[in-house]
Amino acid sequence: MSITIERPARPDRAFRPASTRRARMRARWEGTSPYVYIAPFFVIFAIFGLLPLLYNFVISLFDWNPIGEQTFIGFDNFTRLFADPRFWNATVNTLGIFVLSTVPQLLLALGLAHLLNHARLKAANFFRMSMLVPYITSVAATTIVFAQLFDRDYGMLNWLLSFIGIDPIAWVDDRFGSWVVVSTMVAWRWFGYNTLLYLAALQAIPRDMYEAAEVDGAGAWHQFRFLTIPSLRPVIIFTVITSTIGGLQIFTEPLLLNPAAPLTCGSSRQCQTLVLFLYEQGFGQYAFGYGAAIGVVLFLIIVVIAGFNFLISTRVRGGRS
Amino acid sequence: MKFRKSVAGVAAAALALVVTGCAGGSGGDASGPVEIEYWSFTGIDATAKAEEFEAANPEFKVKITEVGSSAETAQAVTAAIASGKVPDLVLIQDDDLPKLIANPGNFIDLNTLGAEDIAGDYYDWTWESATAEDGAQLGVPTDTGGLAYAYRTDLFAAAGLPTDPAEVAALWPTWEDFLAVGEQYTEATGKPFIDSAANSVFRATSNQVTEQYYDEDGEVVYDSNPQIRDAYDLALDAASSGISAKLGAFSEGWSAGIANGAFAVMVAPSWMLGVIKSNAPDGAGQWNITTIPGVGGNWGGSHLLIPKGAEHPEAAWEFIKANQSPEAQLQLFLDHGNFPAATAAVDSPELADQVDPYFSDSQTGRVLGQSVAALKPFPIGPETGAIGGEFTNALNRVDIEGTTDAEDSWDDAVSSIKNSIGD
Repeated sequence: MSITIERPARPDRAFRPASTRRARMRARWEGTSPYVYIAPFFVIFAIFGLLPLLYNFVISLFDWNPIGEQTFIGFDNFTRLFADPRFWNATVNTLGIFVLSTVPQLLLALGLAHLLNHARLKAANFFRMSMLVPYITSVAATTIVFAQLFDRDYGMLNWLLSFIGIDPIAWVDDRFGSWVVVSTMVAWRWFGYNTLLYLAALQAIPRDMYEAAEVDGAGAWHQFRFLTIPSLRPVIIFTVITSTIGGLQIFTEPLLLNPAAPLTCGSSRQCQTLVLFLYEQGFGQYAFGYGAAIGVVLFLIIVVIAGFNFLISTRVRGGRS
Repeated sequence: MKFRKSVAGVAAAALALVVTGCAGGSGGDASGPVEIEYWSFTGIDATAKAEEFEAANPEFKVKITEVGSSAETAQAVTAAIASGKVPDLVLIQDDDLPKLIANPGNFIDLNTLGAEDIAGDYYDWTWESATAEDGAQLGVPTDTGGLAYAYRTDLFAAAGLPTDPAEVAALWPTWEDFLAVGEQYTEATGKPFIDSAANSVFRATSNQVTEQYYDEDGEVVYDSNPQIRDAYDLALDAASSGISAKLGAFSEGWSAGIANGAFAVMVAPSWMLGVIKSNAPDGAGQWNITTIPGVGGNWGGSHLLIPKGAEHPEAAWEFIKANQSPEAQLQLFLDHGNFPAATAAVDSPELADQVDPYFSDSQTGRVLGQSVAALKPFPIGPETGAIGGEFTNALNRVDIEGTTDAEDSWDDAVSSIKNSIGD
């Protein structure tokens, strides 16, 4: 006995209807189209961001005179850099100015955002707009005005301090004083931006959570600490990281602060940041290779510190599921 | 598919736009005026002079860009040379010049355009400061600084000092006498005499030497040169003697101090006179100028250079010849106070007779001319500016910032310089 099983006839390949072909093409386009849409950014980043970065690594291995000769010297720039007291001076300055300009500023922004979030604040829009004015002011104009305010002999700040019996302080000449001047300028410029970021995040917190907390007997400080801050965590992480990246690269304010010695920010390099040191070597001394080496080291410092910040900020998540 | 075709069409159009945009450049048409691109720094009224040239020579057009300060202009020129796209003409201040001259391949040898014909019109020392090692002439001098002291006649009178320029110059035939007058003034009035030791003493003394930071063979000698050591020690004495107002040149306090009489004397090359006038507009008649101890010296001056790869070098050369002729330099002095580099202009009677009402009708041309005539030139090298800058910083650390003691200052200066330029 034999049983024959008949298979149904397979449709001929060429017999696929047109609608299926179109559908498959559309499906393929939908799969690849996101990549096409974001490709322009990455292409431009590759040309104007990544390529110069990699080329910078290459230049750091040379003794590179931009208008003269370029000789390969391997890691000599780096050995010279780590033995150079000016580099360590600039690193200390950069870290000091970064901490001074970031920590008080972000705390202030948080507090201000909390105040601005108040439901019954009059002219809320006016406050929000005016806080952004420092952000759009020219850096050069800002630096000139602040340099005059902090001037030793004729500045307004010393004049005000004289009323409470304090002798004139040489803000710009002194190391810590110059850090204060630069940090004040940077904080003044950025606090409005960060406040508005925090404000936007605050307004996303549902009000009934606060009402529930009040019913439970939580005071204003408790609400702030256990409700507001945890809800703001993503924004805080964001502002900490962007402030880190920006704060470690402060350049324009120190450059314009001390016209007597612009590229070194004072005769003792008291406020010379790493980027200013890089610029001094590159365009003041025509040592592009040495400047590139400073850039490479700065890049590594920023990666390490930003990574560290990120770890700390995300690690202290605890308690929220 | 229609969609894909339209994407291709848009992409092709975008690519075409980008390519034509990149092709760019001035091109220069066959007819019409030749456009000279000129980069200058601010504050010297270059635009007005360019317009005069255009009016006299309609076949040329000058596109002038006032980049910023002299240092910013030099930095922009460096970036332009490194990138390959250069203007036709650049103005470089003498502090920035040595580093550019050390790489002569970046500029056109003006002898090929006819510079030898006009070389004799200018002072040797300023002409040669733009001559490369191989003899190529890279720049034409536009002006010089000279050296003088500007002093407040009212403050001098209040302290019992003479106010007539000749009598004041007689007070300080040597530098020790100058310091003595300063101490006398400060004791009598309790106020500072000079703005800072680095600016008003070292800048002058370090420019009066016969050998500065380089010797004739191009070797670096700043640390072994006794003339420099003496100049530095003298400035340290000035810093320690209490006659300094501790105001760094061009700082905010210094600009205000000029107007407020925070100090009685300051170094005054020709371009500083304009700085004084703009900082103290109401001070006309309160100031006068006289010679410095030793009389001779120069601080400042600039040169015009034509970068290699410029599109219109011959046109730029025509502009240089017209703009920097002895007559033109004399006119610039009479209009603006920039002291000429052309000998005929300096020796002219108009210059000697010129009086400046701001400076109590003093014959500023005559005073500055004396300093230029008595000048003893010295060799310069690529790091001259950097070494001078480090010496100035070291002095300011003692004088203004107080972070270094006078005894340690020389060693501090030398180690900073070694750090900066290598051994």
